[in-house]
Amino acid sequence: MTQRITLAVNGRSRDDVVDDALLLVDYLRDRLGLTGTKRGCDGGECGACTVLVDGEPRLSCLTLAASCEGRSVETIEAQQKEGRLSALQRAFHELLGAQCGYCTPGMVMAAEALLRRDPRPSEAQIREALSGNLCRCTGYVKIIEAVKAAASA
Amino acid sequence: MKLAGRGTPLVDGVEKVSGRARFTADLVVPGMLAGEILRSPHAHAQIVRIDTSRARALPGVRAVLTGEDCNVPYGVLPIAQNEYPLARERVRFWGEPVAAVAADDEKTARAALALIQVEYRTLPAYFSAQEALKPDAVLLHDDKKGNIEREVSHDFGDLEAGFKAADLVREAEFHYAEVTHAQMEPDAALAEYDPVRNRLTLQSVTQVPYYVHLTLAQCLGMQPADIRIIKPYVGGGFGHRTECLNIEIIAALLARAARGAVRVELSREQTFVLHHGRPETDVRLKIGLKKNGEITAVDAHCIQRGGAYASYGIITILYAGALLHALYRVPAARYRGLRVYSNTPPCGPQRGHGSVDMRHAFESLLESMGKELGLDSFALRRANLISPPYRTVNDLQVNSCGLPECLDKVEQASRWKERRGKLGRGRGLGMACSHYVSGAAKTVHWTGEPAATINLRLDFDGSVTLLTGAADIGQGSSTLLAMVVAEVLEIGLERIRVVAGDSALTPKDNGAFSSRISLMAGNAALQAAQALKQQLKADVSWDEAVRDALAKGGPITTRGTFYVPPELQGGKFRGGAVGPSPAYSYAAQVVEVAVDEETGEVKVEKVWVAHDCGFAINPLAVEGQIHGAVWMGMGQALGEATRYDAPHGLPANANFLDYRFPTMAESPPIEAYIVEARDPVGPFGAKEASEASLAGFLPALTAAIEEAVGVRLQDLPATPERILAELNKPKAKARATA
Amino acid sequence: MRLPDFTLARPRSLAEATELANDPRARIIAGGTDLVPNLRRGLEAPRTVVSLERLPELRKIEPYEGGLRIGACVPLARILEQAQLPAALREAAQSVGAPGHRNAGTIGGNLCLDTRCLYYNQSAEWRASHGYCLKRGGDICHVAPKGKVCRAAFSGDLAPALLALDARVEIAGPKNALGVKPLQDIYRDDGAHALTLAPGEIVAAILVPSANLRSGYAKARSRGAIDFPLAGVAMALALSRDKVKTLRVALTGTNSCPILLKGTEELVGRAADDALGSAISKLVQKQAKPLRTTIGAADYRRQVAAVLARRLLARLTHGDKQ
Repeated sequence: MTQRITLAVNGRSRDDVVDDALLLVDYLRDRLGLTGTKRGCDGGECGACTVLVDGEPRLSCLTLAASCEGRSVETIEAQQKEGRLSALQRAFHELLGAQCGYCTPGMVMAAEALLRRDPRPSEAQIREALSGNLCRCTGYVKIIEAVKAAASA
Repeated sequence: MKLAGRGTPLVDGVEKVSGRARFTADLVVPGMLAGEILRSPHAHAQIVRIDTSRARALPGVRAVLTGEDCNVPYGVLPIAQNEYPLARERVRFWGEPVAAVAADDEKTARAALALIQVEYRTLPAYFSAQEALKPDAVLLHDDKKGNIEREVSHDFGDLEAGFKAADLVREAEFHYAEVTHAQMEPDAALAEYDPVRNRLTLQSVTQVPYYVHLTLAQCLGMQPADIRIIKPYVGGGFGHRTECLNIEIIAALLARAARGAVRVELSREQTFVLHHGRPETDVRLKIGLKKNGEITAVDAHCIQRGGAYASYGIITILYAGALLHALYRVPAARYRGLRVYSNTPPCGPQRGHGSVDMRHAFESLLESMGKELGLDSFALRRANLISPPYRTVNDLQVNSCGLPECLDKVEQASRWKERRGKLGRGRGLGMACSHYVSGAAKTVHWTGEPAATINLRLDFDGSVTLLTGAADIGQGSSTLLAMVVAEVLEIGLERIRVVAGDSALTPKDNGAFSSRISLMAGNAALQAAQALKQQLKADVSWDEAVRDALAKGGPITTRGTFYVPPELQGGKFRGGAVGPSPAYSYAAQVVEVAVDEETGEVKVEKVWVAHDCGFAINPLAVEGQIHGAVWMGMGQALGEATRYDAPHGLPANANFLDYRFPTMAESPPIEAYIVEARDPVGPFGAKEASEASLAGFLPALTAAIEEAVGVRLQDLPATPERILAELNKPKAKARATA
Repeated sequence: MRLPDFTLARPRSLAEATELANDPRARIIAGGTDLVPNLRRGLEAPRTVVSLERLPELRKIEPYEGGLRIGACVPLARILEQAQLPAALREAAQSVGAPGHRNAGTIGGNLCLDTRCLYYNQSAEWRASHGYCLKRGGDICHVAPKGKVCRAAFSGDLAPALLALDARVEIAGPKNALGVKPLQDIYRDDGAHALTLAPGEIVAAILVPSANLRSGYAKARSRGAIDFPLAGVAMALALSRDKVKTLRVALTGTNSCPILLKGTEELVGRAADDALGSAISKLVQKQAKPLRTTIGAADYRRQVAAVLARRLLARLTHGDKQ
């Protein structure tokens, strides 16, 4: 079975027919070519696929595309506006919050959700907000520094 | 120096933070097929019969392959190739590929797998080295008696005299669980075959495109010239992707059979089963010390459960012995190593290759002996420092050693003298040292070629293109190489474009392993830049210098190479090729813990680590590497462990819920200090920066736990249940009440 | 890994939802954090998946008989922000997964979490190789092979908190039936059928009574986030002149359903001191029945549950000592 959905992805409205069982991560990557959103695990364990749905961080590997009907979805590709890196992107880049870069899109989106709710988070709040996003390269040290720097940018 | 030595963001960092970096699973070729793999449901079995006829008949299926389709074995070591991309006659671990399908989509491919019928006759399976070593055990490989892949027997110096000269001799046994890389990117490969020209292009998650190139040529029976390997962005490796992966060969075989493009993407569980990580290890260690802490002799025995195939096994078991040396002065040592086959996924190299478990044993035993002698942990290490130039008894040449400064740094930063032993019950400080190689002096495939080659191109646009086969897998090697070139040419980094990891464009490189790129490719880059500089007029603007140079003969390409000097290539004895390196890096660290005596939970409060990387060409990346190494050591020390349960050898925890590496919530602050004992061979004095800091974490942690609650762990990881069990032993209870 | 095919129904009324769900091959989805991974691993192959996302009445928190009525589809992220909710419930919600899970996951979904086991939460290939189990497709429990019942562990964090708070649940059923029952009545001690709900029955709301209780939740887990509980303990307590007036303790992660500790009523009237902590601890030791369902050792889970219970009492009676 399929469903027709209308939604906004990165500010652009879309009208698509999707399989009932299609996951948001597959819709974004395979249908829309938005491959910045990553698959890192077999379901809900790593945070690499984190996107914003109506401004809240969601794991796109646990979300049905059909349930995004009428919603606004934001991915890493929407961070860069008018050719400029966002404050988070700039901080992750300049302070080496990204090594291999695979967890980075999910990290940045989780951090984006945090900063929208709380523009001046404490370190404890950063750790909590990003606790579902696994990284195997950085030991998280520079990721935390990057989020702090973006918050005070 | 203008640029070298200054923290510099990655040259490919913008792509990474913007989501534009394309990893293998992000690549799309029009019309590409989905590749899926049928895997063994048994840990050890004879393949009696495979019937693929129903799968072949399914509409949408374009190719079905079995072991019949490739009879060429592969393996990273030319002397130990005993693995096939698809099992032939026998399967030796659960999840081993048995058949593969390329179909129009994933669903069809999976449906086809379900139609393949395989008849197995099961064989006894062994999930520990001890079981596999039993005299009546069935051999995994007929030519490997006793299921022993390699027995190492190394004797250096006068062991007997060494122990005789000792004031204190102690012996202890240790056990380490198998751990795995768990890089964030699941494995994937995309193969495109051009049937008209009989050419193949493969893009994959590899750390060493060159090995993949050689292996594909070998297994597919193709000319290397007809193969192109491209490394896209790679989501970490840590050793998992050093050797050619079976899926890289399978994707290529499928593409050729289907005459098109095939993408294979593994699940996380399948990525776990591809493994090639750190083996389960048993160590028995004896050390002799003088009263002043001086080491007089070392006797080490090591057994590694290597898994089903050879992989890097011989190298791993040799490293465990070789790197007993070159951290401290060790006048005499005996090493007995046993690499054993088992019905588990093949082990291989993992960050700190071969050195990590043995280093924990060594530092732990040293620490406890120091206690008996009433020596402070730092004093004990200082009693054994190397002063370069120094040649170890096993012929490792140390030309620089910043360990003394590393010790000073972390001793001061952690306020060791004031705080050690005074934190109160439940809290503790522990310290340890570790070291690593800056690339292996001898390559696996000896060709006589240089250890590294870099090409630079200068053209009319005034940009310098740096061509390298060195694989940047997140460690920042492309940035480092660009910085070296920019430094020499005195131009901005923006003038340099790095093209890395495309066999059609870039010179061969031995790849990202054993921390070789900074020193080896770094030196080649230095030389290539110097060669280019010689052709440029000095004291004029860059644009003018370029115009002038090109007017003399057109666009310029220069080559830089690096050869490891013969005196750094180690001894001539069997196994002597493993351990020698152009330079050794050093690290010392202090770990502070809080241990909950009722729950056994350990909280790492803080880590102070100093790492001698010779010279930090990019301090930002060096810090990142140190953090990552310490933290990865923490994961192994605290909780990571794979598990394969009888009777089928099924991985109990091949997922990120149960293979628990730390989250941001409980990861500690890590204070990293860069120490720079410039090495005469390193580019600007640089040595490795990403491995030496790992191994020291484990013994520093267990020492801290011992100080906190009086429990000495010789069995890792230090899970809460293990700590609680130790605390509940009568001896520990007595200590606690004393 | 794609999901198996199913038909997604997105009803606009609870009545419609119960009708659609009244089919043994229908499954209900709220946040999807539990069902979707299970679908990916082939643990479930429903014909219909009934989504509750278009039922705004299930997303309300409202006063009810002096207490609160919490709609089943209120996300966990909202629970932990509601200062008027009892601490045990907020702490339990806070301890679930990570923010991504808590924004999607709901209170009703967490109560209806599928039980978990090392032999169950594995890929289709894994289970086919090992042999199926009582929970799905087989006739043996690999954890307790001699038993006749599945021993998979219930691992929801909110259930013990709500049990300790003496919550009731509103169940919507087919034919517009609406019933209220004590929370513990929706559970049974059978890992394969831990929920007593019949097809078509949907937890619609949770009724949390007003009571002047101190409450809290403590969870043992390997890491600071993501993990399911190795053991979780919730406690609700009222004191009168330093003596216990009300005491309820509940466990998760240790048995096939969340359990309200038996025997706490006998502790009423006792001083809230260390001896009481030991008594509670003993009850936990006795009633927690963890088996080899997780990668962590079973015995450890029992021991740590007992420690958590004792400490929780200390925290609720003496302030913040963890």
